Amino acid sequence: MDSLITAAALALAAGDPLAALDRVALREDAPALALRGIAMAQLGDFDRAKLLLRRAARAFSPKEAVARARCVVAEAEIALVSRDLGWPAKALDAARTTLEKHGDRLNAAHAGHLKVRRLLLIGRLDEAEHVLAGLDPTPLPPAARAAHELAVAGIAMRRLRIRPARAALEWARHAARQAGIPGLMAEVDSASLALETPAARLISQGTQRPLLLEEVEALQGSPALVVDAFRYAVRAADRTVSLASRPVLFALARALAEAWPEDASREELVARAFGGKHADESHRARLRVEIGRLRAELAALADISATKRGFTLAPRQARAVLVLARPIEERHAAVLALLADGEAWSSSALALALGTGQRSVQRALEPLAEAGKVQSFGHGRARRWMTPPMAGFTTTLLLPAPLPSS
Amino acid sequence: MKHSAAEILREYGPFPGVERVHGVSFDGENVWFASGEKLNAFDPQSGQKLRSIDVAAHAGTAYDGRHFFQLANDRIQKIDPDTGAVLSTIPAPGGGGDSGLTWAEGTLWVGQYRERKIHQIDAETGKILRTIESNRFVTGVTWVDGELWHATWEGDESDLRRVDPKTGKVLEKLDMPDGIGVSGMESDGGDRLFCGSTSDGVVRAVRRPK
Repeated sequence: MDSLITAAALALAAGDPLAALDRVALREDAPALALRGIAMAQLGDFDRAKLLLRRAARAFSPKEAVARARCVVAEAEIALVSRDLGWPAKALDAARTTLEKHGDRLNAAHAGHLKVRRLLLIGRLDEAEHVLAGLDPTPLPPAARAAHELAVAGIAMRRLRIRPARAALEWARHAARQAGIPGLMAEVDSASLALETPAARLISQGTQRPLLLEEVEALQGSPALVVDAFRYAVRAADRTVSLASRPVLFALARALAEAWPEDASREELVARAFGGKHADESHRARLRVEIGRLRAELAALADISATKRGFTLAPRQARAVLVLARPIEERHAAVLALLADGEAWSSSALALALGTGQRSVQRALEPLAEAGKVQSFGHGRARRWMTPPMAGFTTTLLLPAPLPSS
Repeated sequence: MKHSAAEILREYGPFPGVERVHGVSFDGENVWFASGEKLNAFDPQSGQKLRSIDVAAHAGTAYDGRHFFQLANDRIQKIDPDTGAVLSTIPAPGGGGDSGLTWAEGTLWVGQYRERKIHQIDAETGKILRTIESNRFVTGVTWVDGELWHATWEGDESDLRRVDPKTGKVLEKLDMPDGIGVSGMESDGGDRLFCGSTSDGVVRAVRRPK
């Protein structure tokens, strides 16, 4: 390695990207381009950073496969932090294989963790878990260990396994402190906050209260009949009926559950299920049909009987009926829930994460922006959305050093 | 051209607080190496680390019998070994793209890493007197017994080679084992070549063939 590259790398490692740029700003050779890219990323100029890293990857010779692979990993991390989730995952896999083959275990593990975090963000938990299981955290230095434990905690939380999540967060906190990276410690803190912040609402017999993730977990083994507005499912004991593809039936089930042990009026059911203000004859006829369908779906769990004013739910075994709802319910709550991570998202990334079309995400974002609930920056494909105030990009960049010497 | 595998005699370090070795020198008794922000000495007999000088040390190191010459940023610093004071600086010929450094008879020889060049320069003014070309990235450079040696390191491959100082023609080549790269290099004037590692804080002694 040459003199100025070493000097610039030392400055970067000391957290001084400007001093690093000072030394290599005018140099166009591969290691200088890579260092400039990482410095720009640390300064928050992701677009230029990506461009520089891409040029660096091309400028390294084919013999410098490790240096090239590190550039690809760094670019992938920038893509992840800027929520460019459409970034080619295959390139990251290939880089990871190269790093493994050349014995760069640390950066190979870093690539693996990036893959896990991307899968987590787009809600592919099984795959994320599978990749994570193949990564051994024991030989990792503190910063990488913290990233690993954060991923473990992220999966455990989404799987509602709160004790393992807490344990992983403790490890992550310990490792982040050892690494001495303030951004990483802040990331652990904000992940931990998710355990202390209401994650859901419990509605039962006319009352409602917020639930922590832990209490949501405890509810999994509840003997009650639970109408779950997260999964669009109704369950009791170990039987679950999914109504995810039947929104009208779910709306009826939920309205009946909220009214339990009383009945729900036809008017209310019509309003909740069809959005109609008055229950006219055609609505009543349609309601009868849909109730018949719901009765068939829920046959094993509950009966639905007609009353004078409407319908009532009668659980078969369960002695109580609960509704598990999102903490705040408004239109486009799912979009807001994703943006609540404080990161800047592209509408295509939101669409990918929500499993819906980009157009419908845009239709949700426009009224949210008008109401001041979200804001955007950038234009065209580079446009990003986040919740105000601008929180910056909290996800710590642990970019791999692109130099073959490290 | 003679061609063989490098014979590693001994490994020194890793030393506490040293992440990487950037340049290596020998003062007649002790081995000195640059570790970024320090010049460090160890005893090649015991392997014990002895002392260090706080000075910017980003690449090659050389010793002229009285002073150290040390590459830092885009300059070559002349350093008093007793006080650690920088007595003077000259511009490095590669403008900061310089890697290896050695002293010989009033001139300095400087490896220009990715340009695959070795420059002979005036140690007082920095003026380039001669340039020879290599076909590999040049890291360490050293003179011993009238032989000019330089280390190469490109991708995963590294070797030590003796070259004709006039033409740059390779006369002899020692291949380093797979995955072991050489940053700085210096001879002890005898049959050992001290080689800094590209990936950690280790110095290796390699046998110089007779």
